[in-house]
Amino acid sequence: MTDETEITLTVNGTEHTVEVEPRRLLVHAIREDLDLTGTHIGCDTGNCGACTVLKDGEPIKSCLMFATQADGAEILTVEGMEDLPAADDDLHPLQEGFREEHGLQCGYCTPGMLMAGKALLDENPEPEEDEIREAISGNLCRCTGYQNIVRSIEYAADELDARAATDGGAVAAADGERSADAGGEADTFCGLEDCCGGPDASGGDHAGDQFEREYLGGEET
Amino acid sequence: MKSAPFEHYEPTTTNEATSLLESLDDPTILAGGQSLVPMLRFRLANPDVVVDINGIDSLDYLREEDGYLKLGALARHADVEDSDLIDERYGSFADTAPLVADPQIRNRGTVAGSVAQADPKGDWGSVLLAHEGEIVAEGPDGERVIPADEFFLLPYDTTLGEDELITEVRIPTPEPREGSAYHKLKRKTGDYAMAGVGARLVLDDDGRIETAGIGMTAVDITNAQATDAEQHLEGERPSADLFETAGELAAEASNPESDEHGGADYKERMVDVLAQRALGDAAERAGAVRRKVTQ
Ligand SMILES: Cc1cc2nc3c(=O)[nH]c(=O)nc-3n(C[C@H](O)[C@H](O)[C@H](O)COP(=O)(O)OP(=O)(O)OC[C@H]3O[C@@H](n4cnc5c(N)ncnc54)[C@H](O)[C@@H]3O)c2cc1C
Ligand code: FES
Ligand code: FES
Repeated sequence: MTDETEITLTVNGTEHTVEVEPRRLLVHAIREDLDLTGTHIGCDTGNCGACTVLKDGEPIKSCLMFATQADGAEILTVEGMEDLPAADDDLHPLQEGFREEHGLQCGYCTPGMLMAGKALLDENPEPEEDEIREAISGNLCRCTGYQNIVRSIEYAADELDARAATDGGAVAAADGERSADAGGEADTFCGLEDCCGGPDASGGDHAGDQFEREYLGGEET
Repeated sequence: MKSAPFEHYEPTTTNEATSLLESLDDPTILAGGQSLVPMLRFRLANPDVVVDINGIDSLDYLREEDGYLKLGALARHADVEDSDLIDERYGSFADTAPLVADPQIRNRGTVAGSVAQADPKGDWGSVLLAHEGEIVAEGPDGERVIPADEFFLLPYDTTLGEDELITEVRIPTPEPREGSAYHKLKRKTGDYAMAGVGARLVLDDDGRIETAGIGMTAVDITNAQATDAEQHLEGERPSADLFETAGELAAEASNPESDEHGGADYKERMVDVLAQRALGDAAERAGAVRRKVTQ
C-alpha cells in the first residue's frame, strides 16, 4: 500500500484525478502534480501559513495534510480567486485590497494571507481589527509588520459590503460570526452590605462566596 | 523534508481500526495530523504503517451523555470553539479552544490527538486534569477507561498501549455550582504556552469549595496537577487570600525549565498569577459573587 493511489481533487472548480503516494502532502500535490505554484511552502513545522488553502470552505495548512486525506474535497487556492463571483472577472476585492493598501512586500506570505482573509470574510463580513489579526494569526509575514495586511482585509470587507449594498446582496459573503467571547461572567453585586446576593444568587446563604479580585488586573493573553 | 514511505489504511469503523491496530506491525494512528505530520516530515517518527482514523464518522461528536461531556476522537479544536454547549456550560473548554494554535490548525487538530500526543506544552491535558477527566481507549481486550491523572508518563509518552485507540475523552458534566477556567501565557497569538493553568471549582450549598482541580501546562515534564493547592482549597470559602496561597502552592508544585522565553523563576511566578486568575474566574462562574471592596 505504499503504492500510489488515485484521488480526486476539485481545485478551483476543476476536477483533477492524480496518483499519489500515501506520504505525498496536499501542498506537493497542488504545486507539483497540478502545477499550481501560487500556494507556497515556507516552513517544515506548520508555523508559517504560506501553504493555507480552503478545503471545503475551511482554511487549513496544506503542508499538514496528506493528499489522500483530501480525496473528494473541494480546494480553493489563490489561483481560483479571480474566478470567484466577487472578482467580477478582475481581481478579487481581497487581491485589490492588498494592491491598494500595500499589503505585501516580497509577496511570499500573500497567497496564504489571502486565503486566511477569504475564510474570515466568508464567515464574518464585517470583522473588527482584532478579529482580522486573530484570523491571520496562523500566517507569518517577515516583511510588512502586518499593519497593511490588516488594512488590505479591511479594504476588501468594505468593498464587498459596498457591492452588496448596490447588488442587493448578490456577492455578499456568507454570514455567521463566531462568538469570540468565552464563558458568561458578570460582575453582580447584591447591594446588601456583607452579602453577595446578586441577581443570580437566588436563595441560600451566599455570604461565604465573597471574594475580591481587584488585585488581579489586566489580561495575559 | 518528505516523510519516509509508509503503508496507509483508512478504516471507517472503530472495529476495523482496532483490528488493524492489533494485526499490523507497529502502526501509528493519524488523527488531525497537526503534530504527527511535522514529526513524520522531520523523520522523528518513521512508522511503516499509518492508520488514518478520519473516516470513522462515529467518532465525530461532542455531546453530553450519561453524566459526561464526551468528545469523540474526531472532535476538533474548532468544534469545541464553535459549540454553544461549551460556551454555556464549560468555561475552561471555552477558554482553551481559541488559545490552541491558530485557526487553520484548530480546523484539523483533535482534542484526543492532543491528549495522545502528551506534549507537556499541550493545553488540553491540563484541562482534563483539572476536571478529573478520563480517556476512553479501545484495544484488543475491549474498552479501557484511564483517569487523566494516570495517563501522562513522560513528554510524548502515556500509559496508552500501542494497539489501543482513544475513542473518547470525557469529563463529568458540571455540578449545580461549578465553574472552570483556563489561563495561558504565550509569547504571541498561536504559540504554545510558556505557562498555563486550568482550574475547576465545585461549591457546596454553603458556598464552600467541595472539589478543586488545578492542571498546569508547560511547567513540568507532563501536564501536571497541583495537588497541594487543590487540598488547600477544599473545605474553604473562596477568597482572594485563599487563592493567593493556592497560587503559591501551585507555583511550588510546578517544575519549569528556563528557556529562551523566560527563566524558571519567572515561570513559577507566572504559574502563581495564572492560577489565581483561573481560580478567580472559576469561582465567579460557579456563582460565587465578587464583592465590591468599599472600606
Ligand atoms: C504551529 C503549531 C502550533 C500549535 N500550538 C498548539 C498549542 O498552542 N496548544 C496545543 O495544545 N497544541 C498545539 N499544537 C498541536 C495541535 O494541538 C495538535 O492538533 C495536537 O497536538 C495533535 O492533535 P492531532 O489530532 O493533530 O493529532 P495527530 O497529529 O494526528 O497525532 C498526534 C499523536 O497522537 C496519536 N493519536 C492521535 N489520535 C489518536 C487516538 N485517537 N488514539 C490514539 N493515539 C492517537 C498519533 O498517533 C500521534 O502520535 C500546535 C501545532 C502546530 C503545528
Ligand atoms: S508551509 Fe505550511 S505552514 Fe509553513
Ligand atoms: S510580504 Fe514578505 S513575507 Fe509577507
